[in-house]
Amino acid sequence: MARYGMALDYKNCINCKACEVACKEENGVLLGADKHRIWVGVNEVEGEWPLLDIVSSTFLPSQCQHCDNAPCQEVCPTHATYYDENGVVRVDSNKCILCSYCMNACPYDARYVDDRTMTVDKCTFCSDTRLARGETTTACQNTCPTKVRTFGDLDDPESEISILLKTREHFSLKSHLGTKPKLFYLT
Amino acid sequence: MEVEVSRRRFLGGTVAMTIFGGAAVSTGLLSGGEEKHNSSSPRIPKTVTTKTGTGEAEKVPFLCGMCVNKCAGYARVEDGIITKLDPNPHFPKSRNMLCPRGNAGIQTTYDPDRLKYPLIRVGERGSGKFKRISWEEAYDAILNGTDKFKGLKQILDEEKDNRATIGYCNGEGLSKEGFETLVGQKLGSPNYVDEVSICLETAGAGFFATLGVYPEIDFEHADYLIISGANRAEAIITPDTQDMFKHTKRRGIKKTVCIDPRFTNTAAKADKWLPVNPGTDLAFVLALTWVVFNENLQNEAFMKKYGVGYEEYKQHILSHKYTPEWAEPICGIKAKDIYTIAREFMQAEAPVYYPGRRSVFSPNDYQLRRAMAIFQALSGNIDKKGGYIYGNPIMLPPEYVNAPIYDQAKERFDTEGIAFPTLKSGSWIVFRNMVLEGKNPYPLRVMFMRKHNPMMSVPNSAKTAEFLKKMDLNVMIDILPSDTAMYADVILPEASYLERTSPVKAYGFLEPAVVMRKAAIKPLYETKEPEVIYKELAEKLAKPLFEISKKYDKDLQEQIKLRGEKKVFEEDGWNLADAWELPVYEKNKEIIEKAFGPKAWEILDEKGVYYPHMEEYFKQLNPNEYQYYPKSKKFYSTMGDKKRVVCKFDRLATRGIDPMPTWHDEWKFSVPEGKFRLITGRHAQFTQSGTTNNAMLRDLIPTNYLWINKRTAKKMGIEFGDKVEIKSEVGKGQLLAYPTEKIAPNQVFMLHGFGSQSEGLELAYGNGCNDAAIIKDDFEPVFGAAVMHSTNVEIRKV
Ligand code: SF4
Ligand code: SF4
Ligand code: SF4
Repeated sequence: MARYGMALDYKNCINCKACEVACKEENGVLLGADKHRIWVGVNEVEGEWPLLDIVSSTFLPSQCQHCDNAPCQEVCPTHATYYDENGVVRVDSNKCILCSYCMNACPYDARYVDDRTMTVDKCTFCSDTRLARGETTTACQNTCPTKVRTFGDLDDPESEISILLKTREHFSLKSHLGTKPKLFYLT
Repeated sequence: MEVEVSRRRFLGGTVAMTIFGGAAVSTGLLSGGEEKHNSSSPRIPKTVTTKTGTGEAEKVPFLCGMCVNKCAGYARVEDGIITKLDPNPHFPKSRNMLCPRGNAGIQTTYDPDRLKYPLIRVGERGSGKFKRISWEEAYDAILNGTDKFKGLKQILDEEKDNRATIGYCNGEGLSKEGFETLVGQKLGSPNYVDEVSICLETAGAGFFATLGVYPEIDFEHADYLIISGANRAEAIITPDTQDMFKHTKRRGIKKTVCIDPRFTNTAAKADKWLPVNPGTDLAFVLALTWVVFNENLQNEAFMKKYGVGYEEYKQHILSHKYTPEWAEPICGIKAKDIYTIAREFMQAEAPVYYPGRRSVFSPNDYQLRRAMAIFQALSGNIDKKGGYIYGNPIMLPPEYVNAPIYDQAKERFDTEGIAFPTLKSGSWIVFRNMVLEGKNPYPLRVMFMRKHNPMMSVPNSAKTAEFLKKMDLNVMIDILPSDTAMYADVILPEASYLERTSPVKAYGFLEPAVVMRKAAIKPLYETKEPEVIYKELAEKLAKPLFEISKKYDKDLQEQIKLRGEKKVFEEDGWNLADAWELPVYEKNKEIIEKAFGPKAWEILDEKGVYYPHMEEYFKQLNPNEYQYYPKSKKFYSTMGDKKRVVCKFDRLATRGIDPMPTWHDEWKFSVPEGKFRLITGRHAQFTQSGTTNNAMLRDLIPTNYLWINKRTAKKMGIEFGDKVEIKSEVGKGQLLAYPTEKIAPNQVFMLHGFGSQSEGLELAYGNGCNDAAIIKDDFEPVFGAAVMHSTNVEIRKV
């Protein structure tokens, strides 16, 4: 039993997309631009050449926020979306009826349709692959060249993520919505 | 905080938009193969990506072969199929990471377009018409030819055993040396060209000549960084990429200045971006140097001690009045900024002018690298923590090849217009052009090629095609039917990097280590490991070619008279296959046990990495970080008083090259009205032309767009996604437009490596534009290295 979360040292991110490929290869995600479990939000730099505003250019890695208070879970009519024993927001493909309520409810745009399983899929924190094998990192964390990501148990005060969140300033996305995301952006 | 998090916005507004649907790529790609596998063959997966299982799996240490870095990884093999590639934390250079290409390596091995069996040409050169043959038939065709082309035996007989009639080329990689052994040492060809003269030749040589090293950078302790002509966020170099971006944005490196004509992802991570006029960085560095001397900011004691021709250089810079005001109109960087950067750099504790890498941008590139190296040295920040690192080499025992001496072999000829021709790897452009212009002193009739795609990498592809058509025999060893393979007479299919064990390799610098790639699966289809191909080809050729040498080689005839044929054949290296007596794995074992003992081999064999004291030093510090060497054991300073900073290099003057970096006005940047300067570069999701058929990577970067300034594009009526024609004096092509403010109004940019014309590559064929077809074949005067950023082009909407 754990409460998994991820801290992102997002200023390290170079938008290389290694995380995206690792996720696809690990979890057998389909190809296609609308099939990402994970992506990097890009703000194109503002200004006119040669006076570009560097600060306006950001790379913000994102994926399912594994909210403690997940709107997608709330709206799911068949309870296909559920919290597993580690607080990870999961989808039971047997119960999913593709009604797409969850896709609309998710404020982070984290869900997509998997054409093979005919399920509205999303990031699982690699629960049914890596974690199920007893590994302690997600595919995206492990491969990241600049080590943006730290995955771990928020309930364990000794875990690296707990220490990071205690010692570094951080923010969450759209925190005003009260979704209580478990993805934390370190500043 | 305003940040973009939406998937839809992200997909809609950027060049990452895919041009084909997900379903189109995820089904059927691998099912159309005509190959029937018997049950003992290795297996291929049914879908592009395979979800990893929770059951039994093998974990095989490998070294990535998707680019030059050779990151260490573990291949997860389930039921004979590679389902995942994970980083291997033990290798200090790759720091427990695989980049997107490294992760997508599976798709290269399982690419349905792979060369699966030996092929022989049946149509015209370049037509792509080949016939499947057996390995024995392929070796035989190389030796004896067919009705379509001549064989090696006839050619060498006609050339009276002049082995220099054979040319050869090879791309970077762990089996490269073996190919050089085969064609260079064993077959006796001096005419070798490779990626060096189309890549970082001047950067490497300029730094070596000046400091005696092409340094590694200690980003962990650096506190000021100028990065110019190097895009570490998108052209990934290990460990620089990993180390640098953990410290930019004032997290250790107090200021990062990025000098690049284009706003790259590296620029996005800098504190200041200065768009320099292409090819004028030298003026910028000379002006920085002038400020330093004029204000006496340099580490005088350091330079007095280690500088060679230091006083003369100082006088040279000051007397030429390389002031920031002089440089501003040339390089386009404000004088005020040049003053500030020079002062800040010299005041910093640990400033670094990043040495850069990649291509030769302009004819003055060698001088630029020299000027950069000297400028760095003026701070005294070399051979120490936070600066340029010389480090410690880790030595493997040298290998001895018993190479025959060919009396009739002539010397290489590609020297025209070059001050210091390199004997080893020559100049691709000069080599090719001299043959085309009939300036070679003897006929060049054969090209042996491996893992190299000059049709897409050497500027002016039209000439490369003509060159290849001129040959009597072209042989290609590769894994995919590249554009260059289309000009081959015989194609030998190689095992991809995940299917082969490769020769061990040692890496030096701050944290030295030895690494080994092990085969994760057996070679698919009828492919073979390169070393097996070398050996079998050598076996096939040895005796018949020996007969030809016997005919023309007086020395050989004499030796045979003295010692008998059998003895000479075996003892003098005429038995060409003797260089591959042991399989690679066995040979690695022999080398490592000899150098470090049996325990070292055990560790290397299991982990893929070994270095002295590894068991004691290596530890995981936290989920993301490892210690390879304790700080006190890292090789920060190794040179002591052996350091030299060669400011004035007199030998250069003997061949008409400036002994000190000097600006010449013919290097000024200018683009005629209505034209654009073409610049090219890399992306983190591609390695040159080698990965454009990779389904996963193609999914990320569907094509190469033409970057064109937004306002210019608007005037020309060009919008995002419009098809445009790009045309230079040597060629033209078409691609889609990407209007952006990240580039100057008189410049355009495209990614290198796209625009393949080989129909054998389903995804890469006809996708985007091949920059090598557009770039002029200019070369720089010192080594004849290809200049990449000197071509002006016309753009028109089609
Ligand atoms: S792998 Fe790391 S650096 Fe690359 S895009 Fe993902 S988070 Fe960013
Ligand atoms: S945690 Fe696993 S499933 Fe989620 S984005 Fe990362 S790799 Fe993909
Ligand atoms: S940088 Fe990427 S492609 Fe190059 S060796 Fe490393 S993982 Fe492979």
